[in-house]
Amino acid sequence: MALRNHPAKYSAFGLVRRGLRKTNWPRVWREPDWKSSYDVIIIGGGVHGLATAYYLAANHGITNVAVLDKAYLGSGGSGRNTAIVRSNYLTPEGVAFYDRSLDLYNTMSVDLNLNVMFSERGHMTLAHTDSALRTMNWRAEVNKLQKIDSSVIGPDEIKKLAPSLDVSTNTRYPILGALYHPPGGTIRHDAVVWGYARGADAQGVDLHQKTEVLDILCEGGDGADGKGAGATVTGVRTRRGDISAPIVVNCTAGWASTIAGMAGVRLPITTHPLQAAVTEPVKAFLPTVVVSGSLHVYVSQTDRGELVFGASVDPVATYNMGGTLEFTEELAGHVLELMPGISKMRLLRQWAGLCDMTPDYSPVMGPTPVEGFYVDVGWGTYGFKAGPVSGEQMAACVANRATPDLIKPFELSRFTEGELVGEKGAAAVGH
Amino acid sequence: MLLVPCPNCGPRNAADLTYRGESHARPDPNTATREEWRTYLYLRDNPSGWLRESWYCSSGCRTHFQIERHTFTGELREPLLPGSKTGGES
Amino acid sequence: MKNRLPSRAGEQIDRSTILSFTWNGKKLEGFAGDTIASALVANGVTVLSRSMKYHRPRGLLTADYWDPNATVQVGDEPNVRAAHRRLEDGMVVSAQNVSPSLRFDVKAANGLVGRFLTAGFYYKTFMKPAALWPRYEKILATFAPGGKVDLNTPHGYHDKRYAHPDVVVAGAGPAGLAAAIAAAADGASVMLVEHEHEVGGHLLWGTDDDRATAAALRAEAEAAGVEILTNSTVTGRYEDNWVAIAQRSHPMAVERLIKARAKMLIVAAGTIERPYVFAGNDLPGVMTSGAVQRLIRMYGVKPGTRAVVLAANDSGAAAVAALDDAGVDVARVIGSGDRAALVKATGSSTRIRKVHMGDGTTENCDLLVTAVGWTAPTSLLNMAGDRPVYDPSAARFFPGTPPDNVLATGGITGDGTRDQLIEHGRATGRLAAGRAAVVCHRLQASTARAASVDGAEPSYPADERAALPRAPHPEMFRAATHGIVDYSEDVSSKDLFGAAAEGFDSVELIKRFTTATMGPSQGKLETVNTVAVLAEARGETIAEVGTTVWRPPYAPITLGALGGRVFEPVRVSAIQPWHEANGVTPILAGQWIRPEHYGDPAEEVRNTRTNVGITDVTPLGKLDLQGPDVPKLLSLLYTNKWMQLPVGGVRYGIMCAEDGVVLDDGVTGHLGDDHYLMTTTSSGAATVWNWIEMWLQTERPEWQVHVTPITTGLASINIAGPNSRALLGRLTDDIDLGPEAFAYMQVRTGTIAGIDDCITWRIGFTGELSYEIHVPSQHGLHVWNQLLEHGVDLGVQPFGLEAQRIMRLEKGHFIVGQDTDGLSKAPTTGMIPLLKLDKDDWAGKPEVAWVLDDDYPVVVAVQPTDPTVVPEEACQILRADTIDIVGRITSSRFSPTLGRSICLAQVSQEFSEPGTELTVLLVNGTRTTARVMEHHAHFDPEGTRLRG
Repeated sequence: MALRNHPAKYSAFGLVRRGLRKTNWPRVWREPDWKSSYDVIIIGGGVHGLATAYYLAANHGITNVAVLDKAYLGSGGSGRNTAIVRSNYLTPEGVAFYDRSLDLYNTMSVDLNLNVMFSERGHMTLAHTDSALRTMNWRAEVNKLQKIDSSVIGPDEIKKLAPSLDVSTNTRYPILGALYHPPGGTIRHDAVVWGYARGADAQGVDLHQKTEVLDILCEGGDGADGKGAGATVTGVRTRRGDISAPIVVNCTAGWASTIAGMAGVRLPITTHPLQAAVTEPVKAFLPTVVVSGSLHVYVSQTDRGELVFGASVDPVATYNMGGTLEFTEELAGHVLELMPGISKMRLLRQWAGLCDMTPDYSPVMGPTPVEGFYVDVGWGTYGFKAGPVSGEQMAACVANRATPDLIKPFELSRFTEGELVGEKGAAAVGH
Repeated sequence: MLLVPCPNCGPRNAADLTYRGESHARPDPNTATREEWRTYLYLRDNPSGWLRESWYCSSGCRTHFQIERHTFTGELREPLLPGSKTGGES
Repeated sequence: MKNRLPSRAGEQIDRSTILSFTWNGKKLEGFAGDTIASALVANGVTVLSRSMKYHRPRGLLTADYWDPNATVQVGDEPNVRAAHRRLEDGMVVSAQNVSPSLRFDVKAANGLVGRFLTAGFYYKTFMKPAALWPRYEKILATFAPGGKVDLNTPHGYHDKRYAHPDVVVAGAGPAGLAAAIAAAADGASVMLVEHEHEVGGHLLWGTDDDRATAAALRAEAEAAGVEILTNSTVTGRYEDNWVAIAQRSHPMAVERLIKARAKMLIVAAGTIERPYVFAGNDLPGVMTSGAVQRLIRMYGVKPGTRAVVLAANDSGAAAVAALDDAGVDVARVIGSGDRAALVKATGSSTRIRKVHMGDGTTENCDLLVTAVGWTAPTSLLNMAGDRPVYDPSAARFFPGTPPDNVLATGGITGDGTRDQLIEHGRATGRLAAGRAAVVCHRLQASTARAASVDGAEPSYPADERAALPRAPHPEMFRAATHGIVDYSEDVSSKDLFGAAAEGFDSVELIKRFTTATMGPSQGKLETVNTVAVLAEARGETIAEVGTTVWRPPYAPITLGALGGRVFEPVRVSAIQPWHEANGVTPILAGQWIRPEHYGDPAEEVRNTRTNVGITDVTPLGKLDLQGPDVPKLLSLLYTNKWMQLPVGGVRYGIMCAEDGVVLDDGVTGHLGDDHYLMTTTSSGAATVWNWIEMWLQTERPEWQVHVTPITTGLASINIAGPNSRALLGRLTDDIDLGPEAFAYMQVRTGTIAGIDDCITWRIGFTGELSYEIHVPSQHGLHVWNQLLEHGVDLGVQPFGLEAQRIMRLEKGHFIVGQDTDGLSKAPTTGMIPLLKLDKDDWAGKPEVAWVLDDDYPVVVAVQPTDPTVVPEEACQILRADTIDIVGRITSSRFSPTLGRSICLAQVSQEFSEPGTELTVLLVNGTRTTARVMEHHAHFDPEGTRLRG
């Protein structure tokens, strides 16, 4: 494994030894020197960018790679999401993709020698209407064909799995059933970021934090400054100076349109905040992840005892992550519909992340009309759970200069060709 | 919550209105190429900055209007009724 | 109450009212006005909780809302802030996070192995064997802090309040009070919100003169008409000064959310006292200077018997004075800003015993008071976009430049005497009132249809306030030893040093890695110390390290208050009382409650096909369209042609979105000159209304069309079956129901059951001879009853949605959103003749034209080979002997009419030819076969019944 030679292998033994000797652990990643040229530049130090870098090195031997982040590693969506993973998507292409991601998550702690605390606690999507139930059945049937453990269960079984839920018919939107997905669960999102960062760094990848990209350098294109269709990328301009590279990968969320615009590429994306909140901790009472599309809410309880909530994206496109009061009001109202007994719990903190929404609730991955400029963007509200597989596939895409089959359906060209992906049907609240 | 100035109703909570997003001119459906039509359907400038966009006073006078909003600071300027549109409107 | 001091002036307790309560099952007493914590300390309780990770015993630290060690369970309520919540008679209070008891805690053993459990230790272990991680995880989860939720807790009474004040003042210390008074004096409406139970801020535990000033200010504010909310917190400031206030003092509501659109917000939040970081700083008996002053002066409670005071500022001196007053022996005062002066504290499991000084001496004591500086709680300013700025000379952060509609005053902006604070507050209040008047004027002026605003816009007042002075303060964050930084997360300065050395060396990374500032105190006490320790570890200044962003809410707020009362109206038709009285099984369909059936849907189908049935279809969307350009509008929005529909005609149409995807469908009738009635699907009613208005206003503003939604204005009843004509004939005189006079797909307006202006059209969703009548809503129940009454001999029976669905499936009518989906373009419906590409323009036309040349999935009628097998809706259709999906069953039922199973399916074109055999995977995993039919209609494909 790539991490065999890491200066500090993590283990219980190591904890004891360092505890006895009272020594600190060495740096988890280097503070790299500045270089003016790389083989590959990855913009965005989140799960997607770091995983791409990690797999470029691990699977393809490409280590002369820089990851640039304008703030700190994991400062965007990777550190703001609610860390839910699952693979029970609606379309075969979605299922195949996310199932590979779940596989990678399952072995990640060992692969990366860092405990990402994957908690396989089960994932339940509630149906409150006939049509929601029909969509659940549809998903279950597609999942079954792909050997995904995912089935529709009734209120009695729901009550057994999550006793705090009100499954009576006295509610405004009674719970009619649920799509239950035992392999789904939660994971420590920051740990995934750090694991990939540490793994990439150990193989020689340079992680440049506080390095904002100001422009993408191109030549030969139809547009201004040689950008746009037909151009070839030559590097990036950052706040700290120019770096040349024949390949630049846009792995950002929230700023995907801005970064792509620097290369003269327009994207089918609008940016919306996705808000989340946690409560004060209480003793464990909610063992599974619960999602309700009709009530626009998902909730899970962390090992620390907090309830973590999310909802659907805010309707108004904005880059402001200030959060709104009405999000917390609607959230609380809907959560109390599901679990009326927790009205005395208190909301402790709310925050927001930026989501790049596409017309078909599917990402945009692969090459662009600018030679050497790749995108791994448009991840909407489901980017975190796809991080590992996206990194693996984008690395292959860049290394082989050919789009792997698994991400072929997600190429940018599908929009001009009218070949949209069919996740939209079930993805209103896609967690 | 943002206060959105409906040209008829005055400043209203954003929740009282429906957001329709970035404004784009509709190409001639009889002559548009696939690329032009799908650019109209899907591609967006999505700027982090000033954006001309459409709102709909759905809980009030039901007027569609355009406004310029800064997508980071939330500042607003130039509410316009469709009759006085500049450039395209959809 | 062994630690209760003799009665004293200014105390907030009422010694004449004794309250009894229990603490971990033991019966204790306190006074009215006590907090839970002050009553506990008065009773000699020193340990209030156990810490999260090491289960170390913890006592009172700050003795206010933010005290991280005083979180308790009260009855069914977890995480009650005991140093803030007032004691009530009969309270059942218990410690949280103890296993099994506060005094004996087995997890305290973690403290012994603490050196191995450094921050983030769990990231570094339990990876292998992977199979064991779930078990480790369960053990880790038992360390979750916090109280217990009682799932039977009632929801409570939680209405909300909207307010439109000119000025909201957050914080009612001297500056906040003065600001509120000055703003009100200048004519502003003012809400003054105080987090504590009484206004006055730090004056409450000050001198007699301080308290007299607080009382005078309060009286002045009341006289000026200021609305004072105590025990209430401004929890958030959102866009355009949308201000959230959690009111905990409402006489009825447990906690009430007030949403205020404030023209100006004044933040007068004061300061929060910072704890000091040193070895032993979390021993019970280590307190801040504010804590001892509160205990002594507000609650008459003696915090200890022998004290050491670390006094780096005036508050330390004030604490010494309070201790003297209380008869506490002040053994030593360390009046130094030298961080080496105090080294560590040691003690037993329940109390501090000794303080070790930098000069090598020690002092025995049971109380160590620290006064080492302040944190400016800039949360509300952060939420307004402001970033605080660190001033090393004053050793704290200060506000930066908040937006114009947010002003800060008081201790958050600087130091000063009581009078200076009051003067700054008054200046701020005047400024706020002046600006609020301008905002008010602009809001009115920007409403085009409002009456013209009186007078010219007032001039916008500039901020000419003299800033409060900043008192020099030593930078006192950590002694030379390591201690706890985040009490609620059990994170020490040693953890922070370790994390920084590992590379988690920015303020955000260290927060995430160690969880410092992430717990219930949310950084109020520990953010600045965290930043300071990180700066020390990195050899940088505090300004270089920067600080984290404080996020809403300022103080935790209950889900009950946020959620409020459930307000999701249910829509029912005017005929609902009859349904309920006649054994209906209801079904929820969007906002509507509809009759699903009345006992036996198959029998309802049989009766309708044999005799006559009536069904309530009121939820159908109905739009009244009037004006000369309605035909153009219909032509633009439907895929088929509408210019030639004569008066009295009805036509079916499909609408597409601009991407060609099916949006809605329904029939529209031409009622009279320039007058049409459009029906939409029940779930699509609002969408279509918006869609029409969007086109009319933005693309075709020159067209003259009025659109009025009348869905609930008309009760709609479908009368279907061979006897429908006979039945309707008995209730109308002025509509000629003859087959030629009133043919299929025609509309007539007339009198039914004595009700004028009923619209009747002949359509055939069920496939039977049928009439759909639209009756003014208030008469819906009457007409329904008349139909039943006059049709007894004709065999009239009601039928519900299920029977209607069966009959429509027998006829092969697709349902938008069920047989089509979010990607189904119009040709998928199979209605190719309705897609008029020769029309000049219609919504979605280009995409429909292109897809017609392409491959697209098709809706087809399908019958399983085995007529008894009903494939579940959503069953996948596979290429034979593979798992390749080629389609799915979108609708399926057992047809009582045909005595067999029938379906609609969406299949790829390759499998859409009539006669194609399909492989269907049933939910139970077995495969069955089915055949594609020639017509969508399984029953009466020629339509002879409905045309009869």
